[in-house]
Amino acid sequence: MASKGWAIAAAIIIIIIIIGAAAYYMTQKPAPTTTTPTTASTTSTTSSTSSASPTTSAAPAKPVLTGNFEKDVIAIGKYLESKGIHTVKFTVWATGDPNSVMRMYGLYEAAYRINKIWEKNGINVKIVMSKFWESSFKKLYDEFLSAVPQGTNGDFFVNSYIYIANLASQGYILNINSYVEKYWNSVFKDFYPALMNAAKYKGQYYAVPQDTEARPIYVRKDVAACMGWDISNLAQLVKEGKFTWHDMFKKAEEAVSKGCAKWGLIHRKGSAHPDLMQFIFAYGGKLYDPKTGKLVFDVPAVYKWFATEYAFAQHKLLPKDMMSWDWAQQIHPTVVNDCKGSPTGCTLFFIGGTWHWTEWQTKAYYYDPHTHKRRPLTPEEEVKKFYYMLFPAGDPGDKPVTLSQPFMWMIAENAGKDNPDYNQLKDVYHELAFLMIVKASDPEINAIHSVISGHVPVRKAAAALLKNETWINDLINMKINLSPEVKKAIEPIVKRTASKINIEFLANVSYMLEYTHLAPSHPQYPKLAGYFADAINKVLMGSMTPKEAVNYMIQKIKADPDLSKAVEIVGSIPTNWTFP
Amino acid sequence: MKIRKTSLLFFLGPALFVVALFYIIPLFLSVYISFTPMVDWNVNRYLTQFIGLQNYERLFHIVMYDPDMRAVVITTVVFVLVTLVINVFGGLLLALATYFMDEKMSAAYQGLWLLPRMTPIAVYSLLWYYFFHSSGIGILNSILLKLHLIDHPIALGLDPKYLPWGAWFIIIFVNGLVGVSYGMIIFYSAFKSIPKELIIAARVDGASTTRIIRHILLPLTKWHFTFVMVWQMFSLLMTYAQTFLLVEWRVVDSTWGQTWALYVFRTAFTTTKDQGLAAAASTFLSIIGIVLGIIALKALGYEKMILEPKGDI
Repeated sequence: MASKGWAIAAAIIIIIIIIGAAAYYMTQKPAPTTTTPTTASTTSTTSSTSSASPTTSAAPAKPVLTGNFEKDVIAIGKYLESKGIHTVKFTVWATGDPNSVMRMYGLYEAAYRINKIWEKNGINVKIVMSKFWESSFKKLYDEFLSAVPQGTNGDFFVNSYIYIANLASQGYILNINSYVEKYWNSVFKDFYPALMNAAKYKGQYYAVPQDTEARPIYVRKDVAACMGWDISNLAQLVKEGKFTWHDMFKKAEEAVSKGCAKWGLIHRKGSAHPDLMQFIFAYGGKLYDPKTGKLVFDVPAVYKWFATEYAFAQHKLLPKDMMSWDWAQQIHPTVVNDCKGSPTGCTLFFIGGTWHWTEWQTKAYYYDPHTHKRRPLTPEEEVKKFYYMLFPAGDPGDKPVTLSQPFMWMIAENAGKDNPDYNQLKDVYHELAFLMIVKASDPEINAIHSVISGHVPVRKAAAALLKNETWINDLINMKINLSPEVKKAIEPIVKRTASKINIEFLANVSYMLEYTHLAPSHPQYPKLAGYFADAINKVLMGSMTPKEAVNYMIQKIKADPDLSKAVEIVGSIPTNWTFP
Repeated sequence: MKIRKTSLLFFLGPALFVVALFYIIPLFLSVYISFTPMVDWNVNRYLTQFIGLQNYERLFHIVMYDPDMRAVVITTVVFVLVTLVINVFGGLLLALATYFMDEKMSAAYQGLWLLPRMTPIAVYSLLWYYFFHSSGIGILNSILLKLHLIDHPIALGLDPKYLPWGAWFIIIFVNGLVGVSYGMIIFYSAFKSIPKELIIAARVDGASTTRIIRHILLPLTKWHFTFVMVWQMFSLLMTYAQTFLLVEWRVVDSTWGQTWALYVFRTAFTTTKDQGLAAAASTFLSIIGIVLGIIALKALGYEKMILEPKGDI
């Protein structure tokens, strides 16, 4: 019995020691601050640092951003050098389709250009970059969330703007409002205002737009020809709202019944955001009410969306298990393959995105019936194969839409954490990180990204480059002045995608941005979008009717106290409406 | 006496340290977090904020009104019970089979059954993802199509025609295949520790294999059976990894493929990233586990097993 007592006593002592050690560690760990970096605060730190330093007279003052890029870069370089810092390490975490690598390499290029400036001015400081790439933007967001408290996150986070609200409210990303103001006239005035607005949370800038896109509906020209359907004026009819989702259904049905295509419609897998949210806007609904600041669950529009997809799935025009299809094995091959002689069959319509245009040119999705091997498409083959148009209006009287999900450069609140004297120098590291984003937003870098990834530029100067013949030819011949590392990394993609056809494509789809909608940047939106994905999966599988799915969503919203406070449920299921 | 205490501490210390560090402290932390508003892993902001029972109230509200929670509870009960039976009795059968095989054959056979356990979870789940995939690329579907047993691919884990049984079948099958090897190893080792003389004597007396199993092997491994049963029950209550991947990759329906443990994980890590709520759900699960464990140990006579021997040793 005595030994039992001793064992228990020993166990208690060990537990107390461990808890004590953990508590000590937690109390010692400095809590990160979420203050806005202001010029005033940096100035005041300057004086205290200066007085403490034995080399006060020789040491440069702590830099304050002025809006003059070169001057700011030199000031920061000199200041870091005076503090004995010769290497600054930054890591970028980015995500996207395989061609969107400039989301990482844009910052590599920025680091290279800043290093050049320092070198030219005899400053012995160098930025060293490292990267982490994740193809799923949601997964990267999840990883970032759990990494920030541990301090293992990237310094730069390149992801969808929809996460700004939550990341900013949690204090995970830096408020760069004062920095953006300094660079407004020299840089950000040139950005499209709608995109700059998407970079705000509660009126403050927390990010800088990196790219945007439209989500065209791709129509297979060969399938249309097989049906005897003249689509030469289709984009115009869609634009005028004269070709709606009811017509989409009829045409999809016709394509399948005539044996011209295996499927009438194919769309993304996994999540409902962002592609499928277009249905809500196309049926005249909304997702957010700026007056109340609340998310909106628009019952009539959501019901119509569910009913549309339900009809497609029930008539075998859209796969019931669409949400679990594999991108590389099923979705892309079905979209790009020939209708006859290919293992997957084909589809008449595809709810895609502008980036797919170049992705199909770099990834081997196409099954070549002659060689029986998979290979990428050529730009010429794509022109022959695909027609593109806006996402049609839901009902007659509604408007066509598209949806953009601008990607943003964000700076982690603890950016620069892997560098020496972080606590003393963090303002300087933050300023440097911001300047890197300014450089990565150079029109040339932005335009290269647009061409090779099929995204739309975020600023007018980049859009102008896409109309500049000389610049286009320089890009095609890789005569653009880039760092050797970036050049090497993007060369294979440039070779496949930098063509006049692709630049023409970007010009052709740019009108779609006039019809664009943005999903709400609200902390609770990702949760709501997750419920939409579950609901639409049940609708497609037929385990719920559209009405049941709408009620399921309402129950889910009401069951979650946080979500029910954030979401306004409006309208009711329409009684005199049918689809198709 | 003093030496005895010192040596006790010396030998027990490391084990106690590990148990405290990896089991007891996380349990306390989890309970603690359930009283905080922790979301998005914002430890610095929320760890010191105390909100009383709010997370438990929210959990109760969700259990009452969320349309998926009834399925979560039923799936948990079915999953734990059926997989437990498969793991314990399947493990026992495999151990018996390998016990009566010759050594080399037995080792190879056991190695084969250990493969799922040795394979990384993601790879193992990916294998079953492609096996049960709802389209023509799924191995099961392509076999059934080739054999003309079906006309078009079936979505076993998703199609409402097969729900909830299809989803349950997949998660039980995939987890059962991993779990069964654990019982096999424990029971096999237990059988091997029984003195050979007993078996030989029984054989000489003309006992059949069935009688040897009934009257020697099973009675002498009663405590191992208790251990495997209780251990596997805890394990199944808490397991989620393979199931999570199959649900996430949409091979299994997210409602009928979700156990309580998976609900905890998804709430904390993927869907809502609400760690306070997840901790409350996890505490609830721990309480259920402890109660069930105590009941099982009582029912299986654990107290008798740990009684000190009456005679002198």
